Amino acid sequence: MRPLQPLALTVSAPPHRHCGVTVRGRMGNILLAMAPAVVMAVASFGVSGFRVMAMAVAAAILTEAVCDKFMDRETQIHDLHAAVVGLSFAFLLPASAPWWLAAIGSAISIVLGKMVFGGLGGSPFCAPLIGWAVCRLSWPLFMDLDASMLNVELTYPLAQLKNFGLGFVSVTDLGQLFMGRQLGGLGAVQIAGVLIGGLYLILRKHISWIIPVGVIAGALITAALFNAADPNVYAPATFHVLTGSMMFGAFFLATDGPSSPNRRIPMLLFGLLIGVMIIIIRVYGVYPDGTPFAILLASLFTPVFERIRPKPFGVR
Amino acid sequence: MQNDTIHLDLAELTLEGRAALVSCGQDVKRGQRIAISSSPGLGDLHSPVAGKVEHVDPFRIRIKADGEGEVEPVELNSLKGEGLLAALRELGADLPMAPSLNTLIINGVDEEQGIGSRRKMLASHQPTLERGLSAVQAIYAPAQTVLAVLKDSEHSLAGTASVEIAAKYPSGLDPLVALAATGKEAPEDALVLGLETVFQAGRIMETGLPAMETVVTCGDSQFLVAVGTPAGAILAKSGQTPKDRDRIVLGGVMRGTAASSPRQGVSKKTSAVMLVKNPTPVALDAPCVGCGQCVQHCPARIDPSMITSYAEFGMYDKAEAAHIDSCFECGICGYYCIARRPMLQYIRLAKCELAKAKAQAGEEVAQ
Repeated sequence: MRPLQPLALTVSAPPHRHCGVTVRGRMGNILLAMAPAVVMAVASFGVSGFRVMAMAVAAAILTEAVCDKFMDRETQIHDLHAAVVGLSFAFLLPASAPWWLAAIGSAISIVLGKMVFGGLGGSPFCAPLIGWAVCRLSWPLFMDLDASMLNVELTYPLAQLKNFGLGFVSVTDLGQLFMGRQLGGLGAVQIAGVLIGGLYLILRKHISWIIPVGVIAGALITAALFNAADPNVYAPATFHVLTGSMMFGAFFLATDGPSSPNRRIPMLLFGLLIGVMIIIIRVYGVYPDGTPFAILLASLFTPVFERIRPKPFGVR
Repeated sequence: MQNDTIHLDLAELTLEGRAALVSCGQDVKRGQRIAISSSPGLGDLHSPVAGKVEHVDPFRIRIKADGEGEVEPVELNSLKGEGLLAALRELGADLPMAPSLNTLIINGVDEEQGIGSRRKMLASHQPTLERGLSAVQAIYAPAQTVLAVLKDSEHSLAGTASVEIAAKYPSGLDPLVALAATGKEAPEDALVLGLETVFQAGRIMETGLPAMETVVTCGDSQFLVAVGTPAGAILAKSGQTPKDRDRIVLGGVMRGTAASSPRQGVSKKTSAVMLVKNPTPVALDAPCVGCGQCVQHCPARIDPSMITSYAEFGMYDKAEAAHIDSCFECGICGYYCIARRPMLQYIRLAKCELAKAKAQAGEEVAQ
């Protein structure tokens, strides 16, 4: 480039140094953290799992671009958040989900979970959960894992627990559950992959450890209490933690920035509330896996939790 | 210390809210008052060179050095208390009013990493500092005087107790130094003075001439320079050449001001001249994405995300209710903002608007 005459300096507000993390960088890291579970999901469900994920991601990105067009503003799809929303939504779907379900749910996640609130940062909810909730209530037959996955040898332990009782759960071996030998959300049940990704995000400081620890601790304590009350009826705490979308919710959904609290104590309470609610929904609710609804419910409490805050500097 | 090796052809003095007393084409002597301050804590401004005023606008005065003459020294030794304060402020010391003072804290810790100006003053200008210290003690009559120094540093000043400050940003900023010295956050009966202010007061006491010098860090060395020395000249002295799209920062990288041109001069409070070459992101006009990083890192325990969003939409009263006054402008929120919002700028905007509104309300009450 031809040098500018006279010297053209950059003038900007301080600070003149930055930690280097950008929205795109963070979302890219989250996608990277989801990669192990993606690989495990494809290994487990084959091309049908891949198909659902690809559809959901594509629909999310396209929907956001179209929304930006209608909202007459510069599109931000390059920040990769739409891809994260789409993939997170796909992780909650059964591998048998029809293409239109993945597309519509993903689009709803973006429209109702993000864009109506003005884009990234405005939504009081974790976007993929909005799409999931709409699909779960609108097309229960297609979202129902048991009904749609009859042709696979894997079983859905949480549905067996809900419908038939603890004695009828066919896979109780924790190692098997950990390696994803179960039905559930196609990516969410890849517990090992989700855990690797979650730990990666914590180590790279993209998410705080407090919320996942809160979720898991809340679930462990509540499930242990039920289990202690009657071990023949209530599943052991470890079974609950390694089934369904508990782990995925703890590391990837509950840690969604705008819908979760920002300070330590509120984060812990938020996590604990999610953990407790998951088990309560699993024990008393009509849904086998309570994770999405538990997180949506806890997000409503975020403003209340945020009221727990320290005194600002110098305020007496 | 490379004194008077930077030859001043042209001095550019930043007014920082002072009112200019000179007009274009006027001849000025060295040490002549060229701008008057109306805000507490800000002394008047004097020409560091004898010459002709080349340019005056609401922000700066430029003086070309081609003249002779210097003002007469002022006799200060007989003055005490408020009389001395008024005289020193008139001679350019940035001393605030403080009615009753228990603790006077001299901040000898450089605000940011990479700055060594205050350390240099402590190492090389002890007599001047002691002279300045006795002057400010005569003004404020504090029950005790505390010198804040970096942890494990040898420096001390006669007549002061020392408190050690950890070498971790933002511990060296005035409010946190006050906390370390008194054990209280925002103590009412304590005043923090930067070491350069004590140094300038000492210079005034020694010479009877206005404050016209300060120590700035550039690269790895410190220079005693005249106020108004162009930043570009100091950079050249330390062997750095700004290129297109670089930033010249007056002050530290976390809090400093980006100079609009290499001609912009250093002020009395400028601690460093830095050349920022890396493609550090320039702030974007982006909405808050709610990641919460600023809240987690804020040393003042406020919620910068909400405050800057209020400021963005002109809701300054809400920013005030969210304790914007607790902010001591460390810039850490902007450092961590993944959306690259100009956090500190929004906060300063809101503070400025609130102060303006208050001043206006005060005037209305007075009528």
